[in-house]
Amino acid sequence: MSIDKPEARVRPKKLPLKQRYSLLTRDLDWEPNYVTREQLYPHTSYEGIVVHDWDGWEDPFRLTVDAYHKYQAEKDKRLYAVLDGFAQSQGHLTLSDASYLNAIKLFIQGVTPLEYAAHRHFAYLARHLEGPAPRFAALCQSVDELRHAQTQIHTISNYNKYYGGFHSWSKMHDRVWYLSVPKSLFDDAMTAGPFEFLISISFSFEYLLTNLLFVPFMSGASFNGDMPTMSFGFSAQSDESRHMTLGLEAIKFLLEQDEANVPIIQGWIDKWFWRAYRMSALVAAMMDYMLPKPVMSWREAFELYFEEQMLGGLFPDLEFYGITPPKHVNDAIAEKDKLSHETYKILHNFSFAAAFTTQTPQQEHMAWLSEQYPDTFDRFYRPTWEKHLDIEAGGGRAFFQGLPQLCQVCQIPMGFSEPDDPATPSLRTSTFRDEVFHTCSNGCQWIFEREPEKYVQAWLPVHQIYQGNCGGPTVPDVLAWYGIQEGDNGEYKGSLDQQSWAEWHPTSTKEA
Amino acid sequence: MQYELRYQVLEPKRQSYQNVIDRFGDQPASRYLEATLDVEPRENFHYRPTWAQDRELYDARFSALRLTDPYSFTDPRQYYYTPYVTSRAAMHDEFGKSLGYLEDRNLLARLPEGWRAVLGSVIVPLRHLESGAQLVSVAGARFAHGTSIEQCCTYAAFDRIGNAQMLSRVGIAVGTGTDEVLVTAKREWLDAAHLQPLRRLIEEIMIVEDWAEGVLAVDHLDKLVYPLLYTALDEAALLSGAGSYSLIAQHFASWFTNQRRWLDALQTVWQADPENGAANTAHLDRIATTWRDRALEAVEPLAVVIDKQVPEAGAVAALEGLR
Amino acid sequence: MSGTLRQVGIDIQESEENRALIDAIKQDNPDLTVRHLPGLVKVQSSGQIVINRETVESHLGREWETGEFQLAIVSYAGNFSEWDDDQIIVKWEH
Repeated sequence: MSIDKPEARVRPKKLPLKQRYSLLTRDLDWEPNYVTREQLYPHTSYEGIVVHDWDGWEDPFRLTVDAYHKYQAEKDKRLYAVLDGFAQSQGHLTLSDASYLNAIKLFIQGVTPLEYAAHRHFAYLARHLEGPAPRFAALCQSVDELRHAQTQIHTISNYNKYYGGFHSWSKMHDRVWYLSVPKSLFDDAMTAGPFEFLISISFSFEYLLTNLLFVPFMSGASFNGDMPTMSFGFSAQSDESRHMTLGLEAIKFLLEQDEANVPIIQGWIDKWFWRAYRMSALVAAMMDYMLPKPVMSWREAFELYFEEQMLGGLFPDLEFYGITPPKHVNDAIAEKDKLSHETYKILHNFSFAAAFTTQTPQQEHMAWLSEQYPDTFDRFYRPTWEKHLDIEAGGGRAFFQGLPQLCQVCQIPMGFSEPDDPATPSLRTSTFRDEVFHTCSNGCQWIFEREPEKYVQAWLPVHQIYQGNCGGPTVPDVLAWYGIQEGDNGEYKGSLDQQSWAEWHPTSTKEA
Repeated sequence: MQYELRYQVLEPKRQSYQNVIDRFGDQPASRYLEATLDVEPRENFHYRPTWAQDRELYDARFSALRLTDPYSFTDPRQYYYTPYVTSRAAMHDEFGKSLGYLEDRNLLARLPEGWRAVLGSVIVPLRHLESGAQLVSVAGARFAHGTSIEQCCTYAAFDRIGNAQMLSRVGIAVGTGTDEVLVTAKREWLDAAHLQPLRRLIEEIMIVEDWAEGVLAVDHLDKLVYPLLYTALDEAALLSGAGSYSLIAQHFASWFTNQRRWLDALQTVWQADPENGAANTAHLDRIATTWRDRALEAVEPLAVVIDKQVPEAGAVAALEGLR
Repeated sequence: MSGTLRQVGIDIQESEENRALIDAIKQDNPDLTVRHLPGLVKVQSSGQIVINRETVESHLGREWETGEFQLAIVSYAGNFSEWDDDQIIVKWEH
């Protein structure tokens, strides 16, 4: 180091961005001498993934900590200003209808806990991945996900004051039957090794399927007067760009490191496409049935965000590495005219035990569904909804009197039909250690048979009710254990939410 | 003239989320509480971790230190994401201004030779120590039981990288915009005799399984490093014509004050816990015994080197005062 | 290896600040299509989209760091194949 007189006023040389960023992140790391690498990173070899050079990791988003804080603080200032304004002006009164909020109940119960889970497990990657560059990227994502979870809690806090179903989202995520679908998905990812988590969440969830899972809720918010949720969505999207980039870099990095990684990663892509796709059935039902002002149909979203952008855009890129489109993707394509209807029917059947309400689509809504699904709606689904309308015209409301069989893997009640045949129920069985297990589809069966010792551990809500672990033998016992309060569940028409809405819009002549 | 806006007043059905109401009654609650209490899942996990087959995904057994109710601890700073990033944006902005001032006048490179040597061979190499401390803190972010504790660990982990990056930027400034000083500092960290006990210590802390023990071990180290290098040395720098160092050190000292708030509060809560207080106190004593002396042994050589390079620094004497 | 001619796209937050940014992108990418949606501007081009710091600065009237692009971006389709002090490039790799 020179000790000759350094100059007084100099224009300080600026290091190139890439080098400066590297000095501020990966260069902080060092090769340990007093402990072994294996002691420091004990979880990185058991999955069979091989990494020769962690330095090969590319950081396209070069965000240093000071820049992170500056940009994020600015974003939050803007977002909370919107939340405060909306609350102060009783903005919820300008929603399209109180029934819209059922979508947001599903969101805070089903999605917010996943943001939190991602926060916790990206922290795991920030500890357990060997490369300093992906570790830092994971740390940033962990902090981002905490932001998402908490801004969602705050965004929805105002709705919680005036409407049912929001009040016990965290407890319900742990206990309520339909929420074991997202809970088990993330538990599956978190209990897997670090590389599988990286591919399952960073790639499959945050890149492959993110638009399909996220955009419908945010667009739905925009179309239905839900300014806070829409603002949250915009605000979170720029974080999501970083996450998408991490996911894409993760998969390319691992594929480039060693050929042995290719089949392992292909297997994870195959598994996680299907696992996340099955969970997106809830989103499909929400989009087609729960929005008073619909944005687009599930079919249209699937074609745009998955078939066009992913199969048409991303997978040709990945072909270079020997990766093929996910196994069972053709089943998903074959189902796109059926998925939302079959799923909403399940929710409609069982919402007496849910923390949201459902309702039979009226004629106007059915006309839209007919238009969106010309090949299936009128033939297979309208007749059933018409039956419900008849029952309701007579003052009744049909709920399913019993408990459904759940798929051992995705944990959705088995209401799906064969991909190419809407009239035939889809059911698969497998045997493991002399016990029979049930799955809903080729995809879930394939997932089960790959790792049966994992899936037999599942805490299946219906089994647990029958085993007496859910508060007691009657429906009221179970609902109390779930934390469901009066007004949360059942049929929308005549519900507390609808009554409040009518009371708060005295000049409105909206039909029930 | 005063006027009162007329607006629609609706009776809320409840003032907060049910879990907050259960603890504090049906009244408006802070954003901190709504975003922190009971957020972590508690039960009905679906699968066992393949990387820890004798644990659940969230498990009090990841540490010997336990709380009857994880939420008997809350962060005295009330940090959820927004106030955290807002506070740190302000902190980094001020640091940036200090550093910018020094860079424009090339003041760090023009420090007296002894002080430049202290920066190059003691202060700047600590960017690696901060990086190690981050690894330890982030384990708490994942494995601590309950959102209120893990959240503090999350922010601490991000802070450590922030500190490491601040030290790195100091190093670049000392090198008049080049990476020279960082390169030398890393070599020192890896090879220089005076830094090996410290490096050895942080490497051993990094592999401690109990996340809380790791965090506390780092804290015992911090309780020597920070007062010595960023407060005592700050004083000495001012008195010996090296005010530029003080301009930098103040930011680290003020971070340390902030860090103490949650860590001290947590230790108090651990000790006062109805079911686990006695056991926790015993563990805290054991941890102090194990790690405090090692911290002293690791920091002593740094003080010796500082006094050799800047005799008026009084580092060894200052360290004595911290025993 | 030149980029294949698939569409790449970036969704940018509609705001006063970003107007200049979008003008700069239009200038440097002659085939760009621009769609305005509420709060959002979707820009698309076949092959790649290039953002040059100097062009942005000339439209913005002040110094601009490429890192600031992070505040503007909402979503994207493609890869960030280049991001340094002077330029950002989004394209599909293979």
